[in-house]
Amino acid sequence: MLNKNISFTAMDVITSVYNYFRPRILGMVVALLFLSVMVVAIAFTGWPSLDQIPQNLEDQSNIEGIGMLIFTDFVVPFEILSIVLLSALMGAIYMAKGDDNQ
Amino acid sequence: MAVENLAFLIPLLPALAFVLTFFLGKKLPTGGAIIPIAAIATSFIISLLITLNLLANPEEVVHYSYSWFAMLNIGILIDPLAAVMLTMVTLVSLLIHIYSTGYMSHDKAPSRYFAETALFTASMLGLILSDNILQLFICWELVGVCSYLLIGFWFHKPSAASAAKKAFLTTRIGDVMFLTGIVVLFADLYKMFNGVIPDGVYILRFDEIFAHIPELAALNSNILGMEISHITLITLLFFGGAVGKSGQFPLHVWLPDAMEGPTTVSALIHAATMVTAGVYLVARTFPMFIAAPSSLMVVAYLGAFTALFAGTMGIVMNDLKRVLAYSTISQLGYMMLGLGVGAAVGAEAVGFSIFHLINHAFFKALLFLCAGSVIHAVGTHDMRQLGGVAKVMPITAATMIIASLALTGMGIPGTVIGTSGFFSKDAIIASAYLFGETTGSWIPYAFSIAAALLTSLYIFRLIFMTFYGKPRTDYGGHESPASMTIPLSILALFALLFGGLTSKTFNTFVSETFVNNFVNMDISSLATLGGYHLAEHAGHEPMLILWMPLIVALAGLVIAYLVYGLKIVNMDSLVSRNNPIYKLLYNRYYQNSLFTNFFSVKVIYEGFAFAGRAVDRGFDWMVNWFSNLTLEAGESLRQFQTGKVQNYATAVITGVSLLVILVKVVMEVL
Amino acid sequence: MIPIAFYLALAAIIFTIGLYGLMTQRSGIRVLMCVELMLNAANLNLVVFSSYNGDLTGQVFALFSIALAACEAAIGFAILMSIYRMKDTISLETINILRW
Repeated sequence: MLNKNISFTAMDVITSVYNYFRPRILGMVVALLFLSVMVVAIAFTGWPSLDQIPQNLEDQSNIEGIGMLIFTDFVVPFEILSIVLLSALMGAIYMAKGDDNQ
Repeated sequence: MAVENLAFLIPLLPALAFVLTFFLGKKLPTGGAIIPIAAIATSFIISLLITLNLLANPEEVVHYSYSWFAMLNIGILIDPLAAVMLTMVTLVSLLIHIYSTGYMSHDKAPSRYFAETALFTASMLGLILSDNILQLFICWELVGVCSYLLIGFWFHKPSAASAAKKAFLTTRIGDVMFLTGIVVLFADLYKMFNGVIPDGVYILRFDEIFAHIPELAALNSNILGMEISHITLITLLFFGGAVGKSGQFPLHVWLPDAMEGPTTVSALIHAATMVTAGVYLVARTFPMFIAAPSSLMVVAYLGAFTALFAGTMGIVMNDLKRVLAYSTISQLGYMMLGLGVGAAVGAEAVGFSIFHLINHAFFKALLFLCAGSVIHAVGTHDMRQLGGVAKVMPITAATMIIASLALTGMGIPGTVIGTSGFFSKDAIIASAYLFGETTGSWIPYAFSIAAALLTSLYIFRLIFMTFYGKPRTDYGGHESPASMTIPLSILALFALLFGGLTSKTFNTFVSETFVNNFVNMDISSLATLGGYHLAEHAGHEPMLILWMPLIVALAGLVIAYLVYGLKIVNMDSLVSRNNPIYKLLYNRYYQNSLFTNFFSVKVIYEGFAFAGRAVDRGFDWMVNWFSNLTLEAGESLRQFQTGKVQNYATAVITGVSLLVILVKVVMEVL
Repeated sequence: MIPIAFYLALAAIIFTIGLYGLMTQRSGIRVLMCVELMLNAANLNLVVFSSYNGDLTGQVFALFSIALAACEAAIGFAILMSIYRMKDTISLETINILRW
């Protein structure tokens, strides 16, 4: 449903655009600066030729390999990680629960 | 084991005694006096044995030298000169320590006293034993510190505290000159080796210094438009140190004030040992002095002048110890004169001077200890309140009179009858006559004769005012305990007999101090280098010259007896503030006021105050400026600390991006 | 065959989006989401390099990283809840007690 009372002047547009951008402009500029640095870095880096990669084209699935690795080479970090995860969860629950009174 | 191997114990034992007494003395009876006494007695025995060995064979000096670092060493050298000094210092120190057990018995902190005197003895012995000029300087400063501590022993008395400061600061002027001399000497010697010094060569050791005297004499510098030989410069700077330490004009002003300390300290440090360090220094470096044109002349003139100058002030002082202090200055002047006349008599001068030094140590220590005995018993040291003490304290009076006879040098020329002062002082005066004959300058001789008259005058004035006649005030008083009278008697024995018994041996013994297996100096060739002509016919002075000192001494005695004993001349008209000469003398030629009131207060204090204010303002301004800067910078910079995480994140990201760009740019450009 | 640079560019873009959100968003939850986004961009890089190198270690590492991201998210939300209880808001604008 169109309402004829609603109308925008150019100034309103500019103001609203300005109000939208004003708190964001610094973030935008910095983000773009960072992006440009990254893109330039990626684009101008001589990556190794693509012939050799990816090597396992036939077997696209790598779940098996990852599983093997986790339970062989990385079993200790894996266990430690489980403890970290558990304690983080306990900590989170403790913090989020707050006092019993509330 | 040969006793020579124990030489290192001589200074070490008193140093150990210092530590023990300092920490344990409070728990022991009489402040632990037994520790330093035992230590110094052992040192004395070792020194005596070494001296006796050396006497039999003066060429075989005791010398140990150890590398300290680079081209410097520490070492022990006991040649005849050091040996007699060692024996004298340990003996006098031992007697004074024994005496002090009685004298300091009423004091609150005897352990501190004994610790400090032990430290003093150790440093003095170290000074004498040094085989190099640097070690000598270190010990020289140490004895200065001990002197400061002991003058200010009763530091709760403002006069003692300020006297200690004055002594320390005045001698400091001399010390700085001495140090400058060492620095110049070191620089010259270092240059002579072209900076390459072989192992085992220690360039500040005396043998090394003496070996380079001719080269030092050849070096010339232009100072204030005058061509001056380096050897003269160095020796004059050394002599500056000696002037400060030995209380020669014009740096003598501290010595009379130093009497604020305990009397025993005055006896030990400011009469017998420390003040002679300056004389010892000149004697030790005598080969340098005699090779230096005009240095010995300065020594002779200044010594003679000091002897006379101090004597004139001695005759008007009313304080028992002050008279003795001026007497000490006067006698030190004689010792310096004795060295100075080396310009005419060569190495024998060292013998005369050191002989007088040793004899002076005995009789001056005795005089001070007697004075201390009187003060201890009577409680005052104003002579005007004393009189007739001889009746109360016969032993003290007798020893004091013996000491006075030794001081004035009573004896019959041409015989071996005489007090010890007679043999040494008259030898110096006779050499001064030779000096006049050789150089044509009679001023030192005239001064020394005049000073001899004054010596006799002031010391017998003291005797008559103190011991003779009737008591002027009601002072109780009693003879001092045996611990005090026994050292007095021993010293009196030495004052009476030492000179007569040893005079010939002593002079030859000490005069040979520069010919041995450590150094071998040809003094007469060095004298030629310095442009001095040594007299050839010593000992053939006219009869009148030999009798002259005795005549003036007797004249002084007679005058003193007439004026102060019989009182046939009324002194009241002379002794008044209206008499300009008396006023001048009593005010010590206004030199003290000049130094203290004008120089110290006006120039130094006000100058420093002004400079200090200016610097203060400058610093104030600078500090305020910095603080304002910091405050303002902080005020504006803290706006960035918004406390919002996102702002920080933004800053971090910006920073990283810019850093990457910067690194890239730098790498591309370079 | 997709060149590696494209993957990396994608990761960079995702990362930048997260970055932008981190710097501009006021709500704590949104900021946390942005952080997750950045983490995942990093994971993407890990997987890409791992895949192109033929070494599975990087992918295992990405798995660990995801687990740690879960921890981080849990703790982060717990902290936000605590803040909410204290201040009745989770707007990061108002949390500036570390200010001067």
